[in-house]
Order: sequence, then structure tokens, then C-alpha cells
Amino acid sequence: MRVAPQPNVEEAARAAAGPWQLAWRRLRRNRAALAFGVLFVLILLVSLAAPIWADNVAHTGPNSTHTLQKLEVDGEKREVVNPSGRPIGPQWFEAGGRFFVGADGRLGRDEMVRLMYGGRTSLLVGFSAALLTTLLATLLGLLAGYYRGWTDALISRAMDVIWAFPVILLAIALGLALAVGGLKIGPLELSGSSIWIPILIIGAVFVPYMARPIRGEVLSLREKEFVEAAEAQGAGPLRVMFGELLPNLASTIIVFFTLGVANAMLLESMLSFLGVGVQAPNTSWGTMVGSGFQLITSAPLLTVLPGTLLLLTVLSINVFGDGLRDALDPRSKLRLELHAGAAEPEGTAV
Amino acid sequence: MARFVVRRLFGMVAVLFAVSVLTFLIFNVIPNSDPALRMAGKNATPTLVHNITEEWGFDESLPQQYVTMMGKIFSGDVISYEGRENVDERIVEGIPATFSLCLGAAVIWMFFGILFGYLSAVRAGGLLDRVLTIVAVTGISIPVFWLAAILLNYLTYQTEIFPSGGYVEFGESPLEWVEHLILPWVTMAIVYVGIYSRVLRSNMLDAMNEDYVRTARAKGLSERRVMTRHVLRNSLIPIVTLFGLDFGALIGGAIAVEAVFSLNGIGQYAYESLINTDLPPIMAIVLFGAFFIVLFNAFVDIAYAWLDPRIRLGEEAR
Amino acid sequence: MSEALLTVDDLRVAFATQSGRVQAVDGVSFELRPGEVLAIVGESGSGKSVTAQTILGLTRSHNTQVEGSIKLGEQELVTASQAELRAVRGARVGMVFQDPMTSFNPVYRIGRQVAEAIRAHRKEVSKDEARERAIELLDSVGIPGAERRVDDYPHEFSGGMRQRAMIAMALALDPEVLIADEPTTALDVTVQAQILALLERLNRERGLATILITHDLGVVAEVADRVLVMHEGTIVERGDLDQIFYSPDDPYTRQLLDAVVRVDTAAPLRARRESEPLLEVADLVKHFPVKRGLLVNREVDRVRAVDGVSFSVRQGETLGLVGESGSGKSTLSRTILQLLEPGSGSVRFEGREIVGLSRRRLQPLRREMQMVFQDPYASLNPRKRIGQIVGEPLRLQGEAKGSELRRQVQELLDRVGLSAEHYDRFPHEFSGGQRQRIGIARALALRPKLIIADEPVSALDVSIRAQILDLLSELQADFGLTYIFVAHDIGVVRQVSDRIAVMHEGRIVEEGPADAVCERPENDYTRKLLAAVPIPDPREARARREAAGLA
Repeated sequence: MRVAPQPNVEEAARAAAGPWQLAWRRLRRNRAALAFGVLFVLILLVSLAAPIWADNVAHTGPNSTHTLQKLEVDGEKREVVNPSGRPIGPQWFEAGGRFFVGADGRLGRDEMVRLMYGGRTSLLVGFSAALLTTLLATLLGLLAGYYRGWTDALISRAMDVIWAFPVILLAIALGLALAVGGLKIGPLELSGSSIWIPILIIGAVFVPYMARPIRGEVLSLREKEFVEAAEAQGAGPLRVMFGELLPNLASTIIVFFTLGVANAMLLESMLSFLGVGVQAPNTSWGTMVGSGFQLITSAPLLTVLPGTLLLLTVLSINVFGDGLRDALDPRSKLRLELHAGAAEPEGTAV
Repeated sequence: MARFVVRRLFGMVAVLFAVSVLTFLIFNVIPNSDPALRMAGKNATPTLVHNITEEWGFDESLPQQYVTMMGKIFSGDVISYEGRENVDERIVEGIPATFSLCLGAAVIWMFFGILFGYLSAVRAGGLLDRVLTIVAVTGISIPVFWLAAILLNYLTYQTEIFPSGGYVEFGESPLEWVEHLILPWVTMAIVYVGIYSRVLRSNMLDAMNEDYVRTARAKGLSERRVMTRHVLRNSLIPIVTLFGLDFGALIGGAIAVEAVFSLNGIGQYAYESLINTDLPPIMAIVLFGAFFIVLFNAFVDIAYAWLDPRIRLGEEAR
Repeated sequence: MSEALLTVDDLRVAFATQSGRVQAVDGVSFELRPGEVLAIVGESGSGKSVTAQTILGLTRSHNTQVEGSIKLGEQELVTASQAELRAVRGARVGMVFQDPMTSFNPVYRIGRQVAEAIRAHRKEVSKDEARERAIELLDSVGIPGAERRVDDYPHEFSGGMRQRAMIAMALALDPEVLIADEPTTALDVTVQAQILALLERLNRERGLATILITHDLGVVAEVADRVLVMHEGTIVERGDLDQIFYSPDDPYTRQLLDAVVRVDTAAPLRARRESEPLLEVADLVKHFPVKRGLLVNREVDRVRAVDGVSFSVRQGETLGLVGESGSGKSTLSRTILQLLEPGSGSVRFEGREIVGLSRRRLQPLRREMQMVFQDPYASLNPRKRIGQIVGEPLRLQGEAKGSELRRQVQELLDRVGLSAEHYDRFPHEFSGGQRQRIGIARALALRPKLIIADEPVSALDVSIRAQILDLLSELQADFGLTYIFVAHDIGVVRQVSDRIAVMHEGRIVEEGPADAVCERPENDYTRKLLAAVPIPDPREARARREAAGLA
């Protein structure tokens, strides 16, 4: 006679919580990640406040030159750019906030204002490029991984070709090609100095680096039984890709995007430093390092400041991104479940 | 294995072809202006533009242009109109400097990257691990060109600890060769030390949870043996692939570093050409750079397949 | 009475995990006597593996707290130094693990890994000597052609051979004790029989004291001398083999024994009605091409997963499909449901041909045939709430929406033994058995006529299996369902099926009423299969062994 025990509706040890809530809790406990997240937000806010500072404190724009002007400070007259070409140093609040950290080279522009506008541009380009990369890479990865066969072959080959180019060289080539004459594809027309050009270039060159791992993950997710279950119920490809696979890719995509912003910002600054990224009249931290480099011995601050800001921003994103990755996918550093406890009988399957 | 090699080589040729086509498209098709005008550079005169058009065949069909372009670049027949010199020759001159830079940096980053990664993994969670992680994350966040400028300023101009740039042949004076290259090496290596130590750490932590590590311990192997013979050995395999990808891509980073430290290699040539919007050298450098990376990757793939017995002995794992 | 080889006294092992402190082993004491086979039996979470691994100190880490005593002869192991432990591992106590594929390092040759075990303790042994010894060892565990195979890599061995190699490696230094942690769980039943025979021979010929960890009472009955039953970290019962099986004291032990299905027991009689065939499969073929080639992949070979299968299933009956790994049974289920496209052949559902139908035509038919999957962890989308998961089929087929949908889903949840309030929970909050119930609810949502259950209980603990099988049986009666029950465990299949079909290498080699196939098999393979299944009855097992001449 068989004794069938009552169905044991066991409650979970933790209170009912979805995967996102669990991740959020884990993230909250990571103080370093949170601290740097806050730092990033601060930098972001300061950059966004550029127009406010420019209008109300510095009373000048990022491209306005003041070569021949003189500042009134406590009755003393200081030249913004002295006759031998040396720009004025940091004034802090002595001149009411004007030339807070000095002027930039011969053109006598307000460095602080430029730093803030530069930050805005760098962040904008980095963010937009990463967004573009993520969208494209997700789409391509999903298509290649789900359909496999010819679709995969085609997409993967295309990715391989782009992959074959060193990222920087490709970006430089594109930057050079497009910076001069702009872009014209059918109805789409962009001038050489449009901010969209670096965004498109940087967004495009990183696609293979993101698409490949996503494709890999789609390939393995696709074999899971819950996908088969959906197909058995009659779900079509779109439903499977976006309803079943995509939610499981979400954590990977979020982490990739975050790190993508960091990488995009670094690439943009490199391109701008070389003159083939952001073009005048736009300013980015990269262009500022590029121009500051010319005066490195006489006015090192012009190089140090934008670079440091860039470093801090990218560092914050990376640390936060790390924390995000740990929170979303805690294959914790010291795995605590022993293989021992999980000696489940395994069925054999064909 | 032989089958694998043949397939890989064929694939490589196909990619090389595609790369050359893409380069052609980027330089001559996509931009929205007259290619001859762009190539003539700053001192364009109508005669010059006309000559260029003829020489490069810009008035002919696209496929014809492509063939002409490839022919000229690979036969060393490209002239830079700005600098008035033969591009391919200048590139060849720059190889020793660039190569010394890249190779030296690679040696440094592999050594420190693996060392730091190993230490981090073995002492995971401890103070050393945390410190090394901070170093690593900072390393990958530093803009290379900026670091180069900062080091140049503070360690050479201001304090004169290191020579202020220029490249000295190894043959001339090994000591000076090193002296002039130390800062550039460090600049290039920092980012990769960060990347590699993190990747190795992560691979090793994953490997430490594998069943075969448990078996190794159960056999009575010393902890050090377990870590090196089993954990490290298996974790290094993906690092080899990564190295293959990265080494080829170094040329990009070298541009800024060579420019800042005046190393007169291919990178500096590229920098100068960019600043002057001089097209022909860039075209050649981009093409050669891409070719190098494709060749190098094919080589690395084959080496990787040889290392992994599952592939070497014919299990079609891919 | 000889001295105990190993004495465990009041062992306690606790882990600090993210969700708090887990006491995996809570006061375990036992002895291992020379020359005996001691089986430690329990379900998942019982602590049996943790106990075994703690003997060799493999659970040591700063998140683990171990208290109590483990004595190997006179030597105390719990407080032993790393160096002392290393001297014991492999040399005095050898260990064999569950999965030989992942337990060997894939990049080193087998011979080298065996030799490594030797040279770890005998540094004076040269590489060549160690290799010779490795060949001897491989030969002694029954690996043919050991001379050549010593230089092979792990992936070049079959599962059974790998496990033999692992056993050889564990015995390389002639230890006093062998600990085998679920050594046959990952193997086919026919291979399992061989490995058990090997272990039994080693025990008999060398007097090798063995601790065998397992969840399978059949295995215990075949090999063990004494048994410890573990549950939730403690030993609930101990005794010699006959005592445990024939006069158990503890209620948990009895529960465990009751839940075991035996292939040599007939199932309770089921009401038979003559009915129409619901599903007719004729000459179904599914091959997978193996492509190789230089530039273009050309087909060089085929994996004949389903190689001409024909059978039919009547309304209301349960057809059991039995096969080992590689038999093609999973491919068959998926091909029937048109999740995979058949190469050729016909599948008629209620008289209508469904092979070759377009996706649109197939859509309404999907409501009639559903599947329950094997892996409770992979068959539910971890990012969706179970209300969503169970409701998906209803939504896809346009059956219901909004609050009506919710109501229907909650009714289903209730029907499978969960509660309506689980609607908003996520899969990870449920146990394996509960997840299978969710999977069943999902399959049931559209009131299908046919359900193919692909190894629905293989991944579950023995005591939970009974519950799920009972549930399936109830649902069949209530909803008039027809089942195809796919499994590798012929004992389970016999319990639930009216008719059984035995599958081997893509073909059905025998088919008939369940009792007939199990008691009077006609096909050699079926006979071999049945002979290999361990019977959880020591007397029967002994009788069988004697009849077979102690092979």
C-alpha cells in the first residue's frame, strides 16, 4: 500500500520577491558601487547645469573668445591672455566666478564653462552611442541566435568583418571620412560637424563586441525547455524572441549598456583628441585634452582637468557597472552551495 | 586538426577580401565629397586634383577603382601629396619603433595581468584582492592618450626623470632604447593589465568551482599544485584568445602614445596624417592594420585549437 | 570484532549562505568496519554528500563550520592540518564522484591524471613508472586496451569507461577506504549495473571498505552490507541490509520504501475500455545530419535519432515509452508534437494527418496535444510569474483574458495542488516538485486530449515522485487524458502504463501490455534492460545474482 504524503506547500525562506527586487537588494548592499553611482550623478548634474553657469555666473559661452579682454579684480586689471600668449590661471571666485579655473590658451575662452559644456557633449555622445550599440547588438544577436542557419551565418560574417578592424582604426577611418564632407545616404543628410556623426560611428563600431556575447547567450537560452514549451503552445518567432528570450537577456543587456557608455566615452575622447571625433563648434573633454596638450608645459591644468573629469566619470561608471553585474547575476565569488547537497537524480535525455 | 586549419585559412582569406572592400568603401564611397579633392589635401590645386583623378581612376567604375587602389597600396605605389613621400616606405621605416612599443607593452601587461589576476583569485575577498581590483578598475578607466600626456609632462619635462621622447634603436644603445620606451610601455600596458587581471580572476574563480578541481584536491594534491596545474592552466586558455584580439588592435592605441612621446613609428605617422587630413597614409595604415589583425587572429585561433584537445582530436565542438 | 576503520562521532556541518545559516549535517555518528559496504541513503538535502565530503575535508572553507570527530584509525581528521589531510586523501581514503565527465580535467590525458594521483604521494616514482602503473590500474578496472587508452582524453571515453577510470584513479595508492558519492547516478541503467558489479568485485577481492552514497534503494539492495538512512542532516535509522528493507522502524524509512517503484511488481489494475486510437504514428523518421567539410559543409553521416517508428495510442490509455540515453525517445516526443520537423513518416491525430501542416493550420491543433518537461528548473521562464506562465497558452489561443484568465489560472493551480495565491510568485520560490506541478498546470490549461510527459519525475526526489505520479493519474481520470509517458526508468513506467514500448537506437524493439513486456520480454535488449534494473529487495537481488553465477 502506498502512503502518499500530503502535498507539501513549502514556503520560500525569503519573503516572496521577484528577480529584480532581489537584485536591487543586493545592489543596495554594495556601498562602493553606490558611492560611485552618486559621484556619476553629481558629474552629470554639473554638466547639465552648464547653461546655468554660463549665463549666470561666467556670463559667457563655451566658444566666446576673450583674447584682448582684461578682468577687474579688486581694482587690479588682469589680462585674460598676456602678450606672450599665456592664458590666465584659476580665478576661483575672485572675479565673481568668471574664469573659475582660468582661460584656455590664446583664445581666452572660459575653461570652466568649456569643461561643463564639454562634459555635456561627452556624456551625450557616450550615452547615445552606447544606446545605439545596445539596440543594434540586441536585435542582431536575437535574430542570429534564434534563427541560426543562414541568418546567423550572414550576421556573424558581417560582424566578423567589422570585428577584424581594430576598433580605433575603424573609428578613425570613419571619423576622417565623414568629418570632412559629412554623410549622405538617401534622404539622410548630416553635416561634417554634426554631433550625430561621432555618435553613429562609435555606436556602429562596438556592435560586434556586444552582439557576439548576446548571440551566444541566445543560443544557449534557446535550448531551454521553457522555450520549447512556448513553441508547443503555438508561440511564433516574435513571441519567443521578445516574450521569452529577451526578459532573460535583460540583465546582460543592462550591464553591457553600462560598460558600453564607459567605452564609448573613452573612444570618443580618443577620436576627439586626434581630431576626428567631435568637431567644432562642439566641445568635448577629448577635444579639450587635444588642445590643452599643445600648452602642456605652460598651462598643464588645461590638460589635467578635462582628463581627470573623464577619468572620474568612466571610473564611476565602471565601478557602478561592476556592482550592477554582481547584483544581477550573483555567481558569488565564493560559491557556498556545495555540489554535495544537490545530488539530484538526473534523468537521461536524448 | 588539419581540416580545421584549412577551413580557418580559407575563412581568413574571405575576411581579408571583405576588409579590403570595406576600407575602399569607407574612403572612397561613403564620404560626401570628391575623393580626389580629399586626397589632394590642403594644398589642392586643380591640376593636382586632375592628376590624382587619373592616377587613381576616380573617373572609372567602382570595381575598377577598387582594383586600382589595392594595386597601388600593395605595390608600394602610394604617394602622400601633403608630405611628398612614399607612404609604404615611411610605414616600413616606422615598424621597428611601433613593434618595440607594442611588444614591450604586451610582455609587461601579460606578466602583471596574469600575476595580479592570479593573486586576486587565490586571495579572493581579502585585502590584496580589493586593492588589486581597485588598481584594475582604475587601469581600465584611464584615457590612454591623457595618461601619456600627463606622464610626459610630469616625469620628463618637469622633473626630467625620463628622456623627453624620441626613439633610440635597440642596436644603437639597448639602455637608451629601454629608457625611452619605459613610459610609453607603461602607458599602453596599464589598460590591459586592468582588463587581463580581471578576466583571469573571473575565469579562475569559475574554474575553482569546477568538479575537476574537487577531484584534484581529493587526490591529495597540494593547494599550490591544484591552483597552478588545474585552475590556472584551464583559465589561461581564454586569455590566449583575448591576447590575440588585443595585440592586433594595439596599433590604435599606439597612435596617441607614439604621438605624445615622439616615437616616430607608424602610429606617429598616422597622427601627423590625421592632423593634416592627409588621406593616403591613413588609407594604407588602416588597411595594413586590419590585415595584420586578421592574420594574427587566424594564427591565434589555430594555436588555441591546438591547445584544446577536444578540437585538436577532431571533435567538431564548434 | 575487528576495530572500526573509520569512526564518525557527532558530526555537525554548517554553512553560512546568503540566506542565513544552513545546518547541513546535524549530529551524525557511525562506524565503517573493515571489508564492509556501508550505504548512506537519503534524498536531496539529507546531508549525505556533505558528510562524505567532510570526511576528506573537502568542505573546508571560511564559510563552513565543522564540529565533532572523524577518526581514521587513530588519526583525527576534523582538526587535522592541511598537510595531514593531504597525506590521507588518495592514499588512505579514495573518493569517486558522481559525474565523471566534469570530474576529470578536460585538457589533460586520463593516464596523466591517474599518474598525478600516484606521484602526489610517491614523489620518488618516475613519470614512466607512474604511467606503467596507470595502465595496470586501468586494466584492473576492466578498461579494454588500456595500453592505448591511457593516452586518451576524458572526452574520448564513454560514460561508463570514465567512471571506471575514476575508480582506478581513486584506488591508485591502494587506500583502505573508498568513498563513492552517487557513482552511478549519471549513468545509464545498463552501465550502472556494470559499475556496481565492479564495486562489488573490488570490495570482495580486496576487502575494500566502501562508503556508498546514493538515493537509489535498488542500488543499495544490490551492493550494501549495512545501511544508514539520512534525513535532514541526521541518521534516522541504521541497520543491516535485510533489517532496513524488511523491518524498518522509522516512519521516514518506511515512507521511502513505500515510495519506491519496483519493476517486478504489477501496477494496480486499471479500468480498460476499448477505445478509438487517438494518435497513430507510422514510419516516423528524424535524422540529424552530421556535417563536415573543408569549405562547404557536406553531410558525411547522420544521427538516426528516430529511425522508422510506428505505434498507436488509444483514447484514455497511457503508453509508456522506455529507453536509455541515446535511444531517441526525447526526439520522438518532440517530433510527434511537430516541435521538430520529421524527415518522413506520418502522424495522425484523431485521424487527421499533422505532418507537413503549416504553422497556421497547426495552431488550433496545439491545444489538443501538450507536453510536460523533465527539468523543473529549465522548463519555467525564470523571469515570469507563474500566473503568467500558466496563463500563456490561454492567452496565445485567445481563450480568455483579464480577470477571466486569472480565474481560470487560479483554478488550474488549485487543481494541481498549489494555491491561488501563488499566482504572483516567481519560479525560483518553489521546490522541484512544485515546479513540476506548475508545468502540469500549464500543459492542462487548454484541456488537451493528449499529454506527452517527457521524464516528468526523473529529476525529483523519490518521495515527491509518488505525489506527482498520483496527481497525473487523478488528472487522467478527471479529464479523460491520454498519456505518452517517456522515461528511462522501466520500474516507474510499469507503474503508470497500460502498454509499454521499448526504444533502442531509434527503433521500437518491443511493444505490448505493460505486464507482458516486463514479465515475459521477447526482445534481447528488453531482457538486458530488465536484468540491469536494480531491485530494491535484497533477497531478490541475491537470488538474481546466484542465478547469474555471481558475474
